[in-house]
Amino acid sequence: MAAHAHYREAHPLVFVITHWINLVCMVMLAFSGFYIHYPFFDGFMGVARGMHFVAMFVIIINLTLRIILAFTVKTATQLGSREVETDIKNWLPQKENRHQFWPTVKYYLFLKKESPISAKYGSLQKIAYLATVPLTYLMAYTGFGLYGPTADWGFFAGGVDMVGGPMNMRIIHYFGMWVFIIFTMIHAYLANIYSFAPSRIIFAWKETVESEH
Amino acid sequence: MARVSIDPVTRIEGHLRVDVEVDGGVVTDAWVTGTLWRGMEKVLIDRHPTDAFYISQRICGVCPISHSHASALSSEQALGITVTQGARLVRNLIEAAQYLHSHILWFYTLAALDFVNPVNALSADIADTYALAQAAGTRAADFGAIATRLQSFVDNGQLSILSGHWWDHPAYKLPPELDLIATAHYLEALEMQAVAAEIIGILGGKFPHQMTSVPGGTAFVPTESKLDDILFRFLKVKDFIDTALIPDTLAVAPFYLDAVGYGKGVGNFLSWGVFEEAGFDAYKRFLPRGFAQGLSLEQVEPTDVTEDVSHSWYKSASGLNPADGETVADYTGYDADGKYSWGKAARCKGLPAEVGPLARMVVAYLAEASGQALTPDSFGAIRTPKVLIDSTLEALGVPGQPEVLLSLLGRIAARNLEAAYVADLSVAWVNELIGHVREGTLDGFFAEPTTDTGKGAGLWEAPRGSVGHWIDVQGGKIKNYQVVAPTTWDIAPRDDNNVRGPMEEALIGAPIEDAERPLEALRIIRSFDP
Amino acid sequence: MAQEAHGALYDLLAVRGVSRRDFLKYCGSIAATLGLSEAMVPQIAAAIESGAKLKPALWLNGGACTGCTESVAQADSPDVATIVLEILSLNYFETVMAAASDAAEKVKEETIAEGGYILIYEGSVMTGFEGGTLVVAGKTGLEHLKEAAENAEAIICVGSCAVDGGWVMGRPNAAEATGVQGFLNHEGIATPVVNLPTCPVNPEWVVAMVVQYLLVAGDDAAKFLEMTPMVTRRITDAVYGTDVDLLFPKSLFGQTIHDNCPRRGHFENGEFVTEFGSEEEALGYCLYKVGCKGPQTFTQCPVTRWNRRASWCVESGSPCIGCGGLNWVDNNTPFLMRLSDMWLGDGLTYVQPGSIAAVAGGVVAAGLVVHGLGMKAAGRVPGGAPTEEMKEYDRKRMAKKGGDK
Ligand code: HEM
Ligand code: SF4
Ligand code: SF4
Repeated sequence: MAAHAHYREAHPLVFVITHWINLVCMVMLAFSGFYIHYPFFDGFMGVARGMHFVAMFVIIINLTLRIILAFTVKTATQLGSREVETDIKNWLPQKENRHQFWPTVKYYLFLKKESPISAKYGSLQKIAYLATVPLTYLMAYTGFGLYGPTADWGFFAGGVDMVGGPMNMRIIHYFGMWVFIIFTMIHAYLANIYSFAPSRIIFAWKETVESEH
Repeated sequence: MARVSIDPVTRIEGHLRVDVEVDGGVVTDAWVTGTLWRGMEKVLIDRHPTDAFYISQRICGVCPISHSHASALSSEQALGITVTQGARLVRNLIEAAQYLHSHILWFYTLAALDFVNPVNALSADIADTYALAQAAGTRAADFGAIATRLQSFVDNGQLSILSGHWWDHPAYKLPPELDLIATAHYLEALEMQAVAAEIIGILGGKFPHQMTSVPGGTAFVPTESKLDDILFRFLKVKDFIDTALIPDTLAVAPFYLDAVGYGKGVGNFLSWGVFEEAGFDAYKRFLPRGFAQGLSLEQVEPTDVTEDVSHSWYKSASGLNPADGETVADYTGYDADGKYSWGKAARCKGLPAEVGPLARMVVAYLAEASGQALTPDSFGAIRTPKVLIDSTLEALGVPGQPEVLLSLLGRIAARNLEAAYVADLSVAWVNELIGHVREGTLDGFFAEPTTDTGKGAGLWEAPRGSVGHWIDVQGGKIKNYQVVAPTTWDIAPRDDNNVRGPMEEALIGAPIEDAERPLEALRIIRSFDP
Repeated sequence: MAQEAHGALYDLLAVRGVSRRDFLKYCGSIAATLGLSEAMVPQIAAAIESGAKLKPALWLNGGACTGCTESVAQADSPDVATIVLEILSLNYFETVMAAASDAAEKVKEETIAEGGYILIYEGSVMTGFEGGTLVVAGKTGLEHLKEAAENAEAIICVGSCAVDGGWVMGRPNAAEATGVQGFLNHEGIATPVVNLPTCPVNPEWVVAMVVQYLLVAGDDAAKFLEMTPMVTRRITDAVYGTDVDLLFPKSLFGQTIHDNCPRRGHFENGEFVTEFGSEEEALGYCLYKVGCKGPQTFTQCPVTRWNRRASWCVESGSPCIGCGGLNWVDNNTPFLMRLSDMWLGDGLTYVQPGSIAAVAGGVVAAGLVVHGLGMKAAGRVPGGAPTEEMKEYDRKRMAKKGGDK
């Protein structure tokens, strides 16, 4: 991937905001989740659970909103381009992503020298960004299966029975957190490996016009 | 010659079948069959030692406390833990409460109906009953009311748990007044066993299956007020033992004196020892460790144990020590000449050994007779096994003849005398613990493991007999686990040399008045509290 | 005669020193256990004392440790003597019945032939060696259960073993144990089954269910099911592998221990016991960190308590081990850890989820560092490698088509 300019069209302000909300909620959920999993210092359980229960609703609403907005807001079709299109088309795999999965893998395994042609994101990122949607909902589903007020709703209780009880549900929920942690590590790595321009735009909404390259 | 199959044997823990051959009104041969196998040892493999403490006690719902203690002891040996004095005392108290619970429940609820006939009690004269109670030194109750309750119950025609029994059997010998007294105490015993179990509830969370004697010590932290709750209950139970259990035993015994003449069994007695003393020496426990052949006492080690399976439904090797034990089940159907039991044949120094209160009291008696003091001076006047046995022999008119204990009647008496000793001890221990709590002289209740790999043998005594748990821990996980339960000793089938187990042997020579209704055989079977 | 005998229940109780007030108190505590209102007390009293005939009942022991029998002997309200003398006619109850051998079996067979009884079942259903793991009076435990279940009005499963196999069905389930409902489904027997887990069963719940049955059903089990709110939980049978729906009385198994635990305040405050027998335990702190399974276990233990309400597990200082849960041993060991171990497969062992997760996380983090260094070494950082002119796929396709665009 050659260096690109990073324009605001790639991430309109509203998505900068939803991304922020996501990040904050995730950090809160993971931190409080870790604490609930094993309280590694005293005096925080009430706060941790409160944090978890607030953030879980916020993240679900935020994600749902983000999906709706994807059908109304236009975003850049390519990095370094100001040409825009309805966001969902850029979120789902684009024409440029077709047949590029293996080349991308090979590139990252140093089996291919040139950076593969990609659309707004490369094939791997595309898969990851899409996967976060069902994964977050899965966290919500497993979480609500553990959440007192909802655990006995048939929709959730059925899932708890299916996995063999609330203990297994907790384990799945706990593993889900690790999937997110691992995702976030890779995500942050891939996004920023060449330069911090992507972070500047997504967090501070600051354009990087020319690549330093 | 008649072959009689008693199946199921009721009023015992678990499932048991006993076959006897009766010839000329006398039992000439016997086969005892454990009829259930659940595979406890396998469930524990690869789990943590503490899990074994919680799970393994579920082998037996009547003596779970002792299994849990044996399990904890085995883990502690394997993991290099010495428990604190505080934990030792708390454990002794839970164990004592179970002994009292178990012995009361056994005598009145399980065994009494073999000697006491509540239906016959209906013809009792109430005034005579009071007189008899006074003469026997046993506690009175509202005998009239109980007779009325019994009458309504019988009149109703639905006999519930009393249905279908041989109430007209000629081997019932008590006068109706004594039947009524015993029936009254049967009902009261139901209350008393529950009071004793409440003590376990307080110390261990619940009974059956306690929660607190985890490897390392105890999760229970005593406070003065909790100990007061316990002391009050121990005193209540002790009072019942002194004013009902013991006098009832002495009052009923004369009517069944022939029972000193049979039911002796193999005459080898094993006790691993129970109720830990301050120095953690098993030979000095309040009921000490020992092996007696007849009335001669010797030492015994876990390596002396083997388990034969040539008559049991296993295909693992026979004659193994439990430390290297295996359990590979292989059910092949009942065959009295071949394999006929789920029980393994436990042997001590190659011999079948009786375990239980009689064995413990014999070992303790012999230890005391050789000059060993069982209790510290600070405990004051405690009725020790020798004192209790000697005075009972005198009361029964056979002073200085401890060998009469080796019989059906002796086995029953030994259990009740042991209850009296344990009741005395329990009060002393609560007071000791209250003193410590008040003065803050305890060194905590829990100690951490010093290693995660090792082997251990937890040898202890359940109310019904010797219990051993053998554990092999590697890297914090259980590699092998073997249990030799009290019944493994007493209901053992024949061994590799075709030698009968203790209960089988005890049945030999028993008189049977009516081969269709072998009540006398049931008395012997139940005397082991299998 | 019989009518009178039971009409005279109060006299009988009076004679035993139980006043009418005490008796109503019994009934009150039953109401409390069942989650019924005080207004129901007179009806409960009526249910206990009415009826010319005691309700016949059979208590069968399967693969049991007798702990549930022992436990029922600890019942408080009313006590066990009242249950067996004045509430039920327990015609078969191995551990306490007078009769033995054929005489005992005969009473049982007669009761079965007459029908109209409640079956109380303790212990797991032993299917190993075609039932050879439990043989009583020449028949397997399976046959005994089948016979008794077919003619019963309703079945009460006491204790976790009867519910789903309990600890006996814990891995590797060498004796092939399962629960009553699963077995009956397999045999096509439709007698209603109510499940009362924990190991052993809590005696007050047994009494409460029996009274509830007498109260609302009389001899119509369907009415009992209709009038008793239930939760259904679906399990996979340990032996047959089928889906089995288990019914639990909602008033007893609808809420977690954690919901009702007296130590809950300390949980919320983040005050925990980290070592047994410690200062924190003396203060009654929460046992979550030593693996308490209260948050995952649906029973009324903290409300009903144990041994005539003397105490219960958590109060004594031990974490709940989840004995009232389903497949409770596999789902809750190691008991002293927060999450259960995962079984990696035959010939392998158990491992903590946390260990798996930490290894996965560590491997990825290390991988990324190495990869980053590789990117640097390959000269791709910063700025990235030059982008290819054309997708590999297109290039290959063009090559195949001989350069034809
Ligand atoms: C999105 C919706 C989510 C819901 C509804 C949810 C709900 C819950 C609930 C109810 C609990 C149990 C709390 C308790 O019993 O006190 C829990 C625990 C936990 N949650 Fe979430 N959660 C969600 C998302 C997340 C996310 C995104 C993460 C991590 C990135 C996470 C990590 C955890 C962890 C680690 C635990 C502790 C598990 C254990 O060891 O018991 N959760 N969650
Ligand atoms: S002790 Fe157990 S049940 Fe009670 S609050 Fe703590 S975690 Fe919950
Ligand atoms: S508190 Fe937990 S371990 Fe104790 S009886 Fe209830 S379910 Fe079983």
